[in-house]
Amino acid sequence: MASVTLKNITKSWGDITAVKDISLNIRDNEFLVLLGPSGCGKTTTMRMIAGLEEPSEGDIYIGEKRVNDELPKDRDVAMVFQNYGLYPHMSVYENIRYPLKVRKVPKLQHEDLVRKTAGKVEIENLLNRRPRELSGGQRQRVALARAIVRAPTVFLMDEPLSNLDAKLRVSMRAELKHLQHELRITTIYVTHDQIEAMTLAHRVAVMDNGIISQLDVPETIYNDPANLFVAGFIGSPPMNLLKGDLKEGIFKHSNFSVGVGFGECQEAILGVRPEDLELTGPDNTDCSGRVYSFELTGESTLVTVKLDDDRLTIRGPKEYRVSIDEIVGVRINREKCYLFDAVSQNRITS
Amino acid sequence: MVKGSKNKFLDFLQILVILLTAVFILVPIYWIVSGAFKQQVDIFQLKLLFTPTLENFEIIFRSPYNLFDKLVNSTLVALSTILIAIPIATMAAYSFSRFRMKGERLMFVTILATQFVPAVVIVLPFFILFRDLGILDTRLALVLVNLSLVMPFAIWMIKGFIDSIPLDSEEAALVDGSSRFQVILNVTLPMALPGVITAGIFCFILAWNEFLFALIITTNKAVTLPVGLSLFHAEEGVLWHLISAAGIMIMLPMFVLATIIQKHFVQGMTMGAVR
Repeated sequence: MASVTLKNITKSWGDITAVKDISLNIRDNEFLVLLGPSGCGKTTTMRMIAGLEEPSEGDIYIGEKRVNDELPKDRDVAMVFQNYGLYPHMSVYENIRYPLKVRKVPKLQHEDLVRKTAGKVEIENLLNRRPRELSGGQRQRVALARAIVRAPTVFLMDEPLSNLDAKLRVSMRAELKHLQHELRITTIYVTHDQIEAMTLAHRVAVMDNGIISQLDVPETIYNDPANLFVAGFIGSPPMNLLKGDLKEGIFKHSNFSVGVGFGECQEAILGVRPEDLELTGPDNTDCSGRVYSFELTGESTLVTVKLDDDRLTIRGPKEYRVSIDEIVGVRINREKCYLFDAVSQNRITS
Repeated sequence: MVKGSKNKFLDFLQILVILLTAVFILVPIYWIVSGAFKQQVDIFQLKLLFTPTLENFEIIFRSPYNLFDKLVNSTLVALSTILIAIPIATMAAYSFSRFRMKGERLMFVTILATQFVPAVVIVLPFFILFRDLGILDTRLALVLVNLSLVMPFAIWMIKGFIDSIPLDSEEAALVDGSSRFQVILNVTLPMALPGVITAGIFCFILAWNEFLFALIITTNKAVTLPVGLSLFHAEEGVLWHLISAAGIMIMLPMFVLATIIQKHFVQGMTMGAVR
């Protein structure tokens, strides 16, 4: 168990810079999620920690030790890959035993360790099978077992759940969280799925275009986004973002005006989450528009309303019903409005 | 109705083409196999029924033909060639597939380009080189020549197979604690084995059938089977019955090899296509 520190890490391939001067400290026993869209540099960052890529600039420390020049095998990390990275020509037992074998753990301990680990991820009955005979979820468990069999200092997980179906993903998520809590191993987890990030992480580092946009606990990332990117990326459905101008604390959209009490910006963006909007009748409300679509999700309803050229998604109660093209009113919760500068993309605060 | 008869005609045409192709390929083989068991007087008669004899096989293994020596030479030369070529080609192919080097593309193209030089052009330099080294008419010379012929081909072929192996397993092995050499030995090689075996078979066939260099470089001690065939010219003309028997001795190992490793062969040939 150890902390992981990145100091001014940059990774470039010719003219392309995947990671730009990022610094990050991942505490001992922490579950840190690197979250971001494809191509934001999150996997590259993880691969540099694993030793599979060399940083162009900067230093990587695992514990107190600088590991830039260490081979992957000497870093004492374990990694779970997106496509599992199992050895197809070996049985499940041999797959899990492989790290013990190459790290010269005494042979007498192998069987005991493999069986104990397989028990932890509930695959004891699959030990004689080959990876091709397993389902996606079972393969994922084998990859996990192989990673935890030798109790590494740091766990690295590169989108480990992305190949699983939605239902299995939810159950595996819970198991991962439980496993990390039980093993207390520093874990770095890469994903583009914000639900995974919010549910698993102690802290989330939201990455965009090679830099860390915001690093904080999930609640803060959700409730207090630092900039437009984080605000738009976190949340499902995403935050509604409407262009307008902000004068003397009043945000003016082409369709409506709303007093937010602070700020001055010529090109501003108002951000408001679907759950912070309320559907009302067309009169005596903040704004109104035609219903563009109506979706029933089970626990709630999602109504998309057209406001001039923009669309506004509102989460309504599960009993709510409305027809397409019907005119509805929308009330905005002023306490939950976010304002951003459209040019700098930074948050405008009071 | 019209459609049905059109389909039947197409089926018939298809079978006809297949049969014609099969006849085209199989008739020479049938001619050699039957010729090997015919007496000299029957060789040009197209009788299907004749009294088979094993005499031809006895003759080719006796003096002056001594085909057994040539069989030993061919076997040793072909086996030595693949035993040296395949491990080296595998390492080279792995490097080309996995590492980015300066001038990598040029190197790879140069290696392949050696395949495009007609053998006749380089046979004389080889002859002079081996004469100066004092290894003319030795198996060593033939192995060296064969290596230069099969290596580029083997590197190119094995690289294709390694390219199709996903990187994830190799990277997992690196993080699990393997050195690069252990990764190749424990992960890449077992996964690329069908491809490596396929390359090995092709190289064996190339080395086994190599004629031109063996003809120029060997005279007596290191003569191989294909060159040995040219011995069956006598005052009475070409001894086709003996050539047929010797031809069977050349083809037999190929058939046996192909039958034994057919599974790997097919798997290797289709490896890149199925993911």
